[in-house]
Amino acid sequence: MGRHVGIVGVGQTHHARRRTDVSQAGLVREAVDRALADAKLSMEDIDTVVVATGPVLFAAVNQPEKWVVDAIGAQGKSVVRLTSGGGAGFAGALAGYYQVAGGFSERTLVVAYDKLSEGQLQYSISTLYDPFWGREFAVGIMGFSAAYWRARMDVLGHTEEAAAMVAAKNRKNAIANPYAHVKKEVSVEDVLNSKPLCWPIKLLDVPPISDGAAAIVLSSEKMAHHSTSRPAWIRGMAYCCEADNAPERSLMLSEPLAIASRQVYRAAGITNPRRQFDVVEVQEPYSCFELNYYESLGLCPPGQAADLIASGATQLDGDIPVNPSGGCMGANPIGAVGVIRLIEAATQVMGRNETHQIKDAKTALVQSGGGWANLRGCAVLSA
Amino acid sequence: MFSAPDSYPIDLPTFHSEINLPYTLTPGRAAGIFLAEVKNRRIVASRFASGQVVAPAQDFSSTNGEEPEAFVEAPQTGVLTAFTRVDGHVIGFIRLDGCDNDFAHRILAELDDIAIGQRVEAEWDDSVEQSVLAIKGFRIAPDAPVGTVKPLETMEEPLGVIPYAMKLDYEHAYGPYYGRMFDEIRENGRFMGVRSPGSDIALLPPREIDDVTHGRTGTWKACADTGTIRGCSIINMEVYGQTRKVPYVYAEIVLDGASTRMIHVIEIDSLEEAKERIKPGTRVRAVWTQGERQGRVSDIERFEVIEG
Repeated sequence: MGRHVGIVGVGQTHHARRRTDVSQAGLVREAVDRALADAKLSMEDIDTVVVATGPVLFAAVNQPEKWVVDAIGAQGKSVVRLTSGGGAGFAGALAGYYQVAGGFSERTLVVAYDKLSEGQLQYSISTLYDPFWGREFAVGIMGFSAAYWRARMDVLGHTEEAAAMVAAKNRKNAIANPYAHVKKEVSVEDVLNSKPLCWPIKLLDVPPISDGAAAIVLSSEKMAHHSTSRPAWIRGMAYCCEADNAPERSLMLSEPLAIASRQVYRAAGITNPRRQFDVVEVQEPYSCFELNYYESLGLCPPGQAADLIASGATQLDGDIPVNPSGGCMGANPIGAVGVIRLIEAATQVMGRNETHQIKDAKTALVQSGGGWANLRGCAVLSA
Repeated sequence: MFSAPDSYPIDLPTFHSEINLPYTLTPGRAAGIFLAEVKNRRIVASRFASGQVVAPAQDFSSTNGEEPEAFVEAPQTGVLTAFTRVDGHVIGFIRLDGCDNDFAHRILAELDDIAIGQRVEAEWDDSVEQSVLAIKGFRIAPDAPVGTVKPLETMEEPLGVIPYAMKLDYEHAYGPYYGRMFDEIRENGRFMGVRSPGSDIALLPPREIDDVTHGRTGTWKACADTGTIRGCSIINMEVYGQTRKVPYVYAEIVLDGASTRMIHVIEIDSLEEAKERIKPGTRVRAVWTQGERQGRVSDIERFEVIEG
């Protein structure tokens, strides 16, 4: 077990459908300035930097960290760039966590971003598919996500209504989020009646396409007090992978997430997630994913996700609020989302969430993922 | 792992693949002003508080990350600091007069006629706008007077969006397993996988190591061109790069005799009808393309539902 690591400063951009006033590097600068100010630090105080982004094809700049370094004044520092699809931000944070936990850095800045307005999102994601075997029929991430949901619908009861409830909840929560750019309340009926894009996925099950960046400062226990008297301590963090097209690969539970959560819960002493977590932030690129994560994270048994959302337990005033920030429905700059979810959970346990502070939140669960369904991770944060 | 004998040919046919992508890139304020100002035949630079001047203009100092104090007009003359020849073009670094960085651009001269330290001068291309190539290149100008950096009193609004495109061509090596599979598709019109250890069920596409047991896979096996849908969605949105007309079904299908899924499409008449008719568990059969097979998954044109 390594050293204790805390999140001591956070910052994110005001996300938008399209920012034509800043380059990718300028976007990163905004988030970094905010995170450093929040941590009462300057770049001089930072030992190492992790830059995380989605696939290069999203915005056509290869090795963007060399551009980012100029923009954030990180010349001469240890900088690594990391990419892991939609989980890039979370994987970047994990890399930063290892650096501080392992004693190689006292303070590490993790910045994650994507500027999705610049490229062809679904087509870029289709290049994740094997060029020999399936790419020519791929429909980005949406086609396969909908296919998995369709399979879960019959076996696990993840109905269109249940997913619509997730979409309505998260869209409503996003209205108060100062960083979100989609702020419109919709009803369950609105979601159900919205245009099928990749049925069962419909327009209002789908998050926006966004430009945005997010940054966190990770600190050792020794240095944390310089920034805050109440860091969000990382009690456990894991990111696991499953085989791509293995014969036993399940379309039901997310196996890598179930494995990651077992590891993380053991490290953090979580035996009853539903009771022990005060708040949960998940990366739900489509509403159907949130249902899947309820089950894979053990918030309810398999087959009961529809009941959980219907019960109201994951609403703001429920016993286990999920995505009080609005999740991806308010803003979805994909590579940044893992860090955004960490920020939203960290500020909850620090007692200063700007969207919907959950009263007395002490322990928070964060989920993020990349690839299509095969890379999934989670983290536990506590005050 | 698979070890080929030394006599095994290594120069084998490859699988051609292309990625074509249009972009709308955002240059940011500094580069946006630079690109907007080329139509006025001005080279815009950034001046930082330290006194450093960088051309073309940059939003952030590469020395310390600070933002520029002002945008200024750099002179169109300078000194050659490095050069090389690529694809028949001479490119070089130019230190514009009064600037502190090297500007990479074309040098409009033959390699034999140039030397480090030579004076150069920008030559504009009247047919180009909104691009660094509005400067055609820098020509040798031994007598060009030394220019000075001038204030920029008025300037164009920065360009917000620059259209861009990438076309990427790849030649993927098949390897022995994919090689045989695609040969079998082309020559014999059948999908062949390899058996999992101790099992008669085939992994498709074939592979050397079983994902579950991590043991070596077994012998080859032909799978049927009928199968069962495991997951499916009805594609009703048009996206860039799509090869089929919407609506159609994206399906993950397990062929009879295989344990793993393949991705393919099923044509449909209407979305509502497809919701009822096509679902996990639905039996489907391959419809092969007419004419010569290419040795690709798309030699199956589509799948169709087996009625009854």
